[in-house]
Amino acid sequence: MLTKKILIFLPVLIFVILLQSFFWAPTYDEQVRGNPHRLEEFITASSGDAKILNPVLNADSASSTIVGQVFDGMIDRDEELKFRGRLATGWDIYEEAYFYINPEATIDGKRMAGPEEIKELILARRGKGIIRDSSLQDALSNIKNIEIIHAQTSERDIQLPGPDQNGDGLPDAVTVRVRLAPPPRLKITLKSVDQDFFKYLEGILGKGYFETFPSDRYAEILTKGQEDKLSVTAREVLPAIEHNPVILFRLREGVRFHDGHEFDAGDVRFTYQSIMDTRNLSPRIPDYEPVKRLEVMDKHTVRIVYKRLYSPAFGTWGMGILPEHLLNAEALRKEAEAKGSDPDTFTMRDSDFNRRPVGTGPFVFREWKSDQYIALDRNEDYWEGPPNYRRYTYRIVPDLLTQEMEFYGGAIDDYGVQPHQVARLKNDPRYQHFSSLSFGYSYIGYNMRRELFRDKRVRKALGMAIDTDKIIKYVMYDQAERITGPFVKQTDYYDKSIKPLPYDPEGALNLLHEAGWKKNSDGMLEKDGKIFAFTLITNNGNPIRKNILTIAQDAWKKIGIDVKTDLVEWAVFIGKYVNTGKFDALVLGWSMGIDPDLYQIWHSSQTNENQLNFAGFVNKEADDLIIKIRQEYDFDKQVAYSHKLHRIIADEQPYTFLFVRKATAILDKKIVIREYSESGEEIIRRISPTKTGNYTYYFNKWIKLATSPEFDTE
Amino acid sequence: MFSFTIRSFFQKLATLFFISIVSFLVVYLAPGEPSQIDPLNPKFTAEDLARFRAEFNLDKPLHVQYYLFYKNLFTGELKSWKDNQPVLGKVKERFMNSLWLFIIGTLITWCLSFPVGISAAIKRGSFFDRSTTFVAYVLISIPSFFFAYILIDFVVKTFSISVIGMQTFGMQSASPVYQVMDRIWHMVIPSILGALGGIALLSRYVRAQMLEVIHQDYIRTAKAKGLSEDMVNYKHGFRNALLPFVTMFGLILPGLIGGSVIIESIFAWPGMGRMGFEAILARDYPIILTINFIAAVLVLIGTFISDLLYMVVDPRIRL
Repeated sequence: MLTKKILIFLPVLIFVILLQSFFWAPTYDEQVRGNPHRLEEFITASSGDAKILNPVLNADSASSTIVGQVFDGMIDRDEELKFRGRLATGWDIYEEAYFYINPEATIDGKRMAGPEEIKELILARRGKGIIRDSSLQDALSNIKNIEIIHAQTSERDIQLPGPDQNGDGLPDAVTVRVRLAPPPRLKITLKSVDQDFFKYLEGILGKGYFETFPSDRYAEILTKGQEDKLSVTAREVLPAIEHNPVILFRLREGVRFHDGHEFDAGDVRFTYQSIMDTRNLSPRIPDYEPVKRLEVMDKHTVRIVYKRLYSPAFGTWGMGILPEHLLNAEALRKEAEAKGSDPDTFTMRDSDFNRRPVGTGPFVFREWKSDQYIALDRNEDYWEGPPNYRRYTYRIVPDLLTQEMEFYGGAIDDYGVQPHQVARLKNDPRYQHFSSLSFGYSYIGYNMRRELFRDKRVRKALGMAIDTDKIIKYVMYDQAERITGPFVKQTDYYDKSIKPLPYDPEGALNLLHEAGWKKNSDGMLEKDGKIFAFTLITNNGNPIRKNILTIAQDAWKKIGIDVKTDLVEWAVFIGKYVNTGKFDALVLGWSMGIDPDLYQIWHSSQTNENQLNFAGFVNKEADDLIIKIRQEYDFDKQVAYSHKLHRIIADEQPYTFLFVRKATAILDKKIVIREYSESGEEIIRRISPTKTGNYTYYFNKWIKLATSPEFDTE
Repeated sequence: MFSFTIRSFFQKLATLFFISIVSFLVVYLAPGEPSQIDPLNPKFTAEDLARFRAEFNLDKPLHVQYYLFYKNLFTGELKSWKDNQPVLGKVKERFMNSLWLFIIGTLITWCLSFPVGISAAIKRGSFFDRSTTFVAYVLISIPSFFFAYILIDFVVKTFSISVIGMQTFGMQSASPVYQVMDRIWHMVIPSILGALGGIALLSRYVRAQMLEVIHQDYIRTAKAKGLSEDMVNYKHGFRNALLPFVTMFGLILPGLIGGSVIIESIFAWPGMGRMGFEAILARDYPIILTINFIAAVLVLIGTFISDLLYMVVDPRIRL
C-alpha cells in the first residue's frame, strides 16, 4: 500500500536527514570538524556590547577589552605588577623644583640674600660634605643643576571662586586680572623626585624661609571690586615653592599603526591634547589634569612636566595612543564635510573612528556587528611579533545560560563564569581553571558621623560578631579571600602581616561592655537608656550583598543589637543615602586600581556630600600618609607608607573588611602557550597564571590545539 | 469559482484596510513612547526631543501619521527607529531565517501527526493508543520554553555540541558542505520543539477524524468486500478523513510569525518573531506595525488558500 509506505517512510526520511547533520557539526571535543581555522580563533563572550572603541573616550568594560587589543599604551604592568615599556622603551622621572627668593628672610645673619648668593650657598653645602646629617647630604647630592630665572612683569587672568549666582549651591567662577612682578626664582633640577626636598633646604636657608615669602607684595589685582582677593590670588599664582615632576619617555622606533603610518611623539602629544580638549568630553580628564605641559623633544622623545607631585599620574600612561593623522582637526573636518555635518560642531566623539579604530596593538580591527560580535585579526606587523591566534572574536551573548551552553558546545572559549558554576566545573577534566584575586573588596561601612559608631571598640566588636569565613564558604562558594585593609591584596602595598579580625562574639560583647553597652532585661544592648539599634542598607539586585545583609543582621541580633535592613534600588541608594551621608551602615564594595592612592576614599577632605569618603573617616595621621603616598615616586618608600596606613585603617575599623573576590576563569583545556626556542623548535606549555594571578598575561602566545595535551604533572 | 475568487479577494482587501487602521491605533495610542524620545532620559534636551518627534512624524495629527506610515511602507522608505535601517530589508532577512525553521517544523508536524493519529485510531484502546494520548496531553499542557531548556541542557551536556543560534559560531570559514550541515543541525532542536505542540494537537485531530470515518457504512462495506485491512484503512478511510485537514493547511501560515517568538528568543534565532518581540520592547513602531501588517496579510492569504483548497477537494462546496 503506497499511502501507508509514504506515511511511514517520509517522517523517517526527514528525521534521518535532520539527525545525520549531527555528525557534521563541530563539538567541544572536535572543534576542528570541517573548520580547521577554529584553532586559530579565540572567541570570548560578554553580556554587553561595546559602546565606543576609542581609548580616550571609552568608559565601559566591553569597550576597554577591545581597545586593549587594538591599541598599545606607553607602558603597562608586567607579571610582578611593575611598570613595563610598550610604546615607550624607557623613561626617566626627575624633578624640577622652584622657589622664589624671599627678601624678608635672613640667612646666616645676612638680610636680602640674592639668588646668586643662595645658589652658591646650596652648591657649597653640597660640595663639601660638611653636613653631619646624612639624609640632608643625600638630598643635596640629588641636585643636578641650579638655574636662576628672572621673570618679566606680566598680566594675566585667573579664575577664582566667587559667590553663587546660578543657584546650584556651588561657588561660581570669577575672572580676575592680575599684574605680576615676581622676584627672581631658583630652578633646581633634581635627579629623582623628592617630596621632602624643601624641608631639607630649609635646613640651609633657615626655618620659615618659604612660609614667610610675601607673595602678595608682587601681585596687584586690576579688576575693580576684587582687590580683597589679593592674598588668595597671590598665593595661587606665585607659590613660594613648586614641585614639578618630569617624565621623559623614550619611544619605540619603527612601530606602525595598522594603516601603515609610523607612530611618533606627535601621536602621544595628540592623545594628550584630545583628552584635554573639553569638547571631547573625555572621562580621562582628571587623570591628566595635573599635567603642566607636554613637550615633543624629538621624533621619539616626549617630556611631560607636572604641576605638582602626583605619583599615580605615571600609571595613566597605560592608556592607548591615538593616531594623530586620522583624527586631527583636518581629518575631522574632512569627515564632517563628507557626512554633511557642521565641521565646527563635529568632534572626535562623532567620528566613525570610534566604530572602526586604528591603533598599534596586537590585533587589527576588522568588523563590528552591533549586538552580535566584534571581530579582530592579528597584527602581522606587531612590534613584539604577531600573536599566535589569527583572530580574536568578542561575542555578545546577553543571556548567561546561553553563554554557558555555548561554552559547553565549544563555540566560546572563555566566559564570565559565576562562583557556583566554578564549584561545579573546577574538577571537570575537560577544562582548566584559574583563580586569581580581583582588584576590589566587599565591606560593611559605618557612618562615623553617627554617635553610635564613633567608638572604635564598637566598630571592632561589630566586625568580630560576623563570621566572615562562613560568608566566604557559603555565600561565595570559597571564591573569595579575607582582606584586612584598603589596598589591592596581591600588591606589595598590602601588608600581609596584619591579621583579620577573629570571629569572636564573646570578645565582641566584652568590647561593647567596655564601651558602655550593657544588656538589659530583654537581652538587648543598652546605654544611657538607649537601645543599640540601627539600619543596615545595600543596593537591590546584588544577591551576594543581600545575603551578607541578612547574615550580618542575624549575627548582630545574636549579641543583642537591633538591626533593621533595607534593600534600595541603586540610583536611590547612591543618590539619597550614600552621597548625602544619610545612612547608618551599608554593605558595598570598592573596585580598585593597583596604584596605592587612597585620597578620594579615605582622606578627611573627601567627606562632604557626593564625595567618596562617605563613611566619614577622619584621621590626621592617615591624612598625612595618604598625601605622602600620592606624592612619593619611590616604590620602597611608598610601600613603607602604605603599610603604616594599612595598619591605621585596620586598627580603626571604619569598615568591616569582608573579602576580596576571586576571579575564576574556566578555559578550554586545549588552549596552551606555544613558544619557539631559539633553534626554532616548538615548545608547548601549560598556561600558568603570573604571581599576581593574571592568567591572560601571555595571551599573545596562546593557541588552541586539536586535542587536549598531556603535560607531566609538576 | 472565478467570481468567488474575485469576491473573496475584495472582501479580504477591505478586511485588511480595517485591520491596518485598528492595529495602527492600538500601537500609537498605547501608553509610553519610543525610547528615543523618552522624556525621562536626562541626556536629552527639549530641542532633542522635538527634533526626534519631527523626524518620526510624531508631531503630526494621527490620520497624517497613518497616511505617512503606510505610504512609506509601500514605497519601501520606512525605516526602523532603532537603527535607521530600512524595515523591509530587515524584515526580509529575518523572514528568510524564520521561513526555514517554519518549513522544517511544519514538515515534522504533518509527517508525524498522520501516522501516529492513524495508528492510534486503528488500534483504538491499545497500549499504543493510550500512551500517545498521554504523551499528547503532556505535550499540550507543558509550556514549550520548559521543554526547550531541558532539551538544550540535555543535548549540550551529553554531546558537547552547540545548539543555539543559526550556526556554530566561528564556522564562517569552514567548507560549504560543513556549513550547510551545521545549519541543518542548528535547526533540528528548535524545529522539533516548535513542532511538538503541533504534533500533539494535530495527531489528536487525525485520530478523531479517522475514528469517525472508520465507523461509516462504506468502510463496513469495503471490509465486507474482503479488501485488505490496509486497503480499507488507507484508501477508503484515510482519504475521507483527510478532508478537514486540507483547510487547516491554509491556516498554519500565520504561525510563521506568531508561533516562533518563544523558541526564537530561547535559541537566539534571528527570526521574525524575535524581531517583533524586541521591537515591542524598544517601541520601534515601524517594525511592530510592519510585522503586524504582514501577519494580517498571511492570515488572509491563509484563509483564502483554504477556501480554494476546499473547493478543489470537495466539489460540494462549489456554488
